[in-house]
Amino acid sequence: MDIQLKRGLLDVCVLAAIKSEDSYGYKIIKDIKPYIEMSESTLYTILKRLETADMLTVRTAEHGGRLRKYYHITERGLKRIGEFKKEWKEIMSIYRFVTKGDDDNA
Amino acid sequence: MRKQEFLAELEARLFGLPQDDIRERLIFYSEMIDDRMEEGLSEEDAVSEIGPVDEIVSQILAEVPFTAIVKEKVKPKRALKAWEIVLLALGSPIWLSLLIAAFAVMLSAYVAAWSFIVSLWAIGASSAACSFAGIFAAFAFWIRGDVIIGIAMLGAGVFFAGLSILLFFGCKQVTGCFLHLTKKMALGIKSLFVGKGDAE
Repeated sequence: MDIQLKRGLLDVCVLAAIKSEDSYGYKIIKDIKPYIEMSESTLYTILKRLETADMLTVRTAEHGGRLRKYYHITERGLKRIGEFKKEWKEIMSIYRFVTKGDDDNA
Repeated sequence: MRKQEFLAELEARLFGLPQDDIRERLIFYSEMIDDRMEEGLSEEDAVSEIGPVDEIVSQILAEVPFTAIVKEKVKPKRALKAWEIVLLALGSPIWLSLLIAAFAVMLSAYVAAWSFIVSLWAIGASSAACSFAGIFAAFAFWIRGDVIIGIAMLGAGVFFAGLSILLFFGCKQVTGCFLHLTKKMALGIKSLFVGKGDAE
């Protein structure tokens, strides 16, 4: 997959993983795993980028006698998911145009 | 590998990056290992699932901007004394010009390599032009009745056409390789500054 495209998709995947409830690093990786493979260092970079862009906030909470970081989606993060859905509709209509001839033959 | 060993090696290999950045990354990986162990993995397995330190370090280096490394490197470990500042200022005609010269040499080597590639492309373009000219001249001689010269011109034209096609693919290959090499070099230069705090 194209690197730029994958990067954008990973950002949205991470946002989607924390959309319904706050989540932590390992859980995010596990939740996304069936759809897209992501290494720890990639996730770290994405979380940093999303935090800088105000799309999520971080809080540290105690868990089982140690500290764990939880990530919470912000208004801006939710907006990004909305934008992605809109963009994807456009991409799907382009996809249909690109594969038009193929469907006729099939 | 045990968790502490893993974290210690990672810390040593990242030495040279901003301190806060290293600390945050270590906390992140530590949490990742703990969460795996909580799920029932052994410490060794949890660490090995994170991946080899080498791979992690090169991925981090590729992402961290060069400026962040330099900023951390030139940050003095302590306040400079007055006489050191004076010495630095007095010596600047020497060390500054040496530094500039070193950079200029590296830059010119890089530019020279690129000009070699540009000239390869130019040879390719000129043989393409030659092939057009040859074929055109072949027709001109043929119309004038010089069939033999016309055929010779046609031959030359076809030869140059073949040469330019070969050169095109060759140039594309060389340019691609060089771009790849540039990326590798950037990574190499970054590693020169990072990871020198090895606690081996």
